[in-house]
Amino acid sequence: MKMKKFALLPLTCLALILTGCGSQATSSSPKEEELNIMMSFPQYMDQWDAYCRQFEAKILKENNIKVKVKLEMPTSDQYESVLKVRLQDNDAPDLFCLHSNNIAEYYKAGYLADLTSQPLSAKIYENVKQMVTYENKVLAVPIESQAWGVLYNKDMFTAAGVTAPAKLSDLVTIVSKLEAKNYTPFMLAFHDSWVPQLMTALTLGGLVSGKLTNWVDTMNAGTGSYNDVKEIFDPIDLIMGHGTARAMEEGAEAGSADFANGKAAMYVNGTWSAGTILKTKSDFNLGVLALPINEDENCTRINLSVSTTLAVHPNSTHKDLALKFANYVLDDTDSSALFKACSFNPLASCHNYEAAAYVTEGMDYVKKGKSYKDLVLPSAVTDQQGKLLQEYYSKTVTKDEFITKMDATYKDAITK
Amino acid sequence: MKTKKLKKNVNLLLFCLPAFIVYALFKLYPAVSGVYYSMTDWNGLSRAFQFVGLANFTKLFSDDTFWHSVAFTAEYVLALVVFANVLALLLAVAIESRHHFRGTFRTLFYMPNMISMVIGGYMWMFIYTKVLYYLADNWGWKFLDHSWTGDPRYSFWSILTVSCWGVVGYLMIIYIAGLQGVPNDLKEAAELDGANGWQRFWNVTVPMIRPALTICIFWTLNSGFQVFDVIYTLTGGGPGDATQSVAINIYEEAFKGNTRFGYATAKSTVLFIIVTLVTLLQLTLMRRQEDEL
Amino acid sequence: MRKKHISVGYIIVDILLIIGLLAWLFPLFMALLNSFKTDGELFTNILSFTATPSFENYVRAFTKMQYDKSIWNTILLAGLSVTLIVVLSSVAGWALCRTKSKLSSALLNLFVFSMLIPFSSIMVPLYKIVISMHLKNSLVGLSFIYAGLGVSMAIFLYHGFVKGIPYEIEEAAAVDGCNKLQTFIFVVFPLLKPITATIVITNVLWVWNDFLLPLIVISNRDKYTLLLSTNTLFGQYSNDWTGILSALILSAIPVIVFYAFFQKQILKGISDGALKG
Repeated sequence: MKMKKFALLPLTCLALILTGCGSQATSSSPKEEELNIMMSFPQYMDQWDAYCRQFEAKILKENNIKVKVKLEMPTSDQYESVLKVRLQDNDAPDLFCLHSNNIAEYYKAGYLADLTSQPLSAKIYENVKQMVTYENKVLAVPIESQAWGVLYNKDMFTAAGVTAPAKLSDLVTIVSKLEAKNYTPFMLAFHDSWVPQLMTALTLGGLVSGKLTNWVDTMNAGTGSYNDVKEIFDPIDLIMGHGTARAMEEGAEAGSADFANGKAAMYVNGTWSAGTILKTKSDFNLGVLALPINEDENCTRINLSVSTTLAVHPNSTHKDLALKFANYVLDDTDSSALFKACSFNPLASCHNYEAAAYVTEGMDYVKKGKSYKDLVLPSAVTDQQGKLLQEYYSKTVTKDEFITKMDATYKDAITK
Repeated sequence: MKTKKLKKNVNLLLFCLPAFIVYALFKLYPAVSGVYYSMTDWNGLSRAFQFVGLANFTKLFSDDTFWHSVAFTAEYVLALVVFANVLALLLAVAIESRHHFRGTFRTLFYMPNMISMVIGGYMWMFIYTKVLYYLADNWGWKFLDHSWTGDPRYSFWSILTVSCWGVVGYLMIIYIAGLQGVPNDLKEAAELDGANGWQRFWNVTVPMIRPALTICIFWTLNSGFQVFDVIYTLTGGGPGDATQSVAINIYEEAFKGNTRFGYATAKSTVLFIIVTLVTLLQLTLMRRQEDEL
Repeated sequence: MRKKHISVGYIIVDILLIIGLLAWLFPLFMALLNSFKTDGELFTNILSFTATPSFENYVRAFTKMQYDKSIWNTILLAGLSVTLIVVLSSVAGWALCRTKSKLSSALLNLFVFSMLIPFSSIMVPLYKIVISMHLKNSLVGLSFIYAGLGVSMAIFLYHGFVKGIPYEIEEAAAVDGCNKLQTFIFVVFPLLKPITATIVITNVLWVWNDFLLPLIVISNRDKYTLLLSTNTLFGQYSNDWTGILSALILSAIPVIVFYAFFQKQILKGISDGALKG
């Protein structure tokens, strides 16, 4: 027994010496580390893969650390559930993408690190920064930001002699002028429920920011109702009543392709579809206009949203590296090339590349102050909005039923 | 004597142990813990959750979407049991009465059963969204010009058609086996007594294939209630929630939107109770009829 | 000799059967036909054969689906699951049949009653177990889950079959000096071939064609089974119909080949299993 105790002392000394030597030794040969990143845009897999290699090279050169970046890209409809499982499971990735609307929820659950003091923070454009800030803390790096409304075919508009509408009656005129030229006014692609949801996103956004500014608060307090915003059905009915046929069989991708091929003059979808549209027809003249809701021009605004952001997990075992990667996303030298390759909008001072024409058109609205931050509604509510609009289109649900059901869904979502 | 009995049982347990371990871990425990989880407010995001007693079940009573999916599933199951079994029986009789090519017919009609309903569903999706419209537009068959997967009035029948297509083969094989078991002399005796084909079928054949009927109906009921694959591929439960089956409802509750796992498990418990009651009812009714025979 | 007379009714039924068969196989035929066309051809004339068949769609589908990876994953999954099911259930079913005791009947009932439980009832708690045991994205783990789900039916079938094997054979083996386990492995198991064949075929098909369980357990693309990878094609590239149809055909081929080889066994297994059950 005594022997054991005696042996322990020199053994511990030996161990300490060895680790000491060890760390001295690794300062000359690169330390090996791993970084786990989970992202939600498989369509840009190649670009981000390349960027991760660049990061690895940079870190090896500057910090003498050999990093292996493991990039995981589940399909977008699985993404959230996979992420939630990993976060619960203590198997969390070091960095992960999330929609800016979820920032508050995930922060409250303790999954977001504070990035306010990081160099990346100061570079972000003010209006975009608001969208990744909660309780005055910057909690994620914005990646994909959009200034979006309704996409339109500039050539068809010129041929019909119309320009972007300022109020709903303008839009009605545009519709009749387009139809006079045998153009179908709206591309309808309702197979994927998130596409009709965009109509509620735009109409509610415009109406709330321009007129009923406290509607979301009343809904969150349980005192409001969808009846207060009943007028959103005016533009929605207009769109549904003057659109392409067989909308329920048209998926989002098919819709973008058909829109590019001239099947309709306008498409209620965001600038994220520009990729498919321009791939289908590279010389397509794409424009972006704000959707009017009513006769109040103040409600005709562009939706400013940050759909994808990158967050750092506060308990990451490689937190330094993770923060370095977060900063690298907005790196002064390399970020522009990446953002341009993915067709993302410029959103920070380090971005000096030229944006596409339709991006600038959207940003013009923003500069004139005619924009609003995308409304933050519970995801169960937005899901249900999309689904009920599908049913509304198929005439299995009336306006009043829509209102009652949405009110019930909202109440359900806020009682946690 | 006692030690011998003990040794016998210990041996039994040892041999059953490996099977029992995986079974308990992946089937029994989830079934039982499901009941526990249905009484918590566990959602997929935060780590902590609380016991809420029967709150989920009370919420369930007023959950319109869930009961709508139960109603939809019930209608679907009823229609499936009737259509699939009638069609399968007709096919079985038709094929059995052939003099040639019986094997070929059997093989070919059974083929759709081999491919997954996911693949079959997507193949039918192509038919519904492209081929039928082509026929409507180019061959002038206007009656085909409907939104077969988008309009709830039609998508019920589209889903049913695909399900029948995927299931009839299996039922047909069982019916054929049942028909083959009907002794020829009984049929001949009936014929001699002056019974025509239809009377022979109804009074001699059908009673003799009662066991096959019981099994087929039991199987259709049980699998019908769990329908997922075919609806997931054809309509996703849509438009909105119009064609949502219970399994899809539970899947969405647990894995999409709010990911309310506790609530979803409460729903699964209710589904289990419903399925058990219905199948027990069916089995007792039909077994009783068989016994009367 | 009874004279076979062909009535009008007989011919009508023949015609109906043939029409029915054509309609029955129509979706498969359409998918196959159109998978060889280009996108343009597909939309202009859906029903006709193409003059210029191209395999380009198949190549594209093959790559997008990561067919080589997913088919291997599915083979691995099905193979391992079924092996587990056969090994675990055969010995359990035999032991349950040969041991006549109250415990034996109780255990048998315990194994069998759960066949009624719908998957959606245990889906969510099972998911929780998958997470706590770190089985997410593990094909091996998934095989064990399939084993757990599949032993009930297999034990039931083995139990029934063993009843028909004369006990004298096992007694003879014991006299020869075999212990229980050896008796099972060398004497009983070979005699179980017919029912094992049925069980193997049924379960291989079940695991191969299963969708929902892999959907929730596997999120890593590289580990996708064939069905999951076919499904992704539908989500992301939903406009590429020629690619999708090729993918569907590629997915269906293994099963159809399996069917062509084992057709007799499969059909026999169904009728035997169902009527004896």
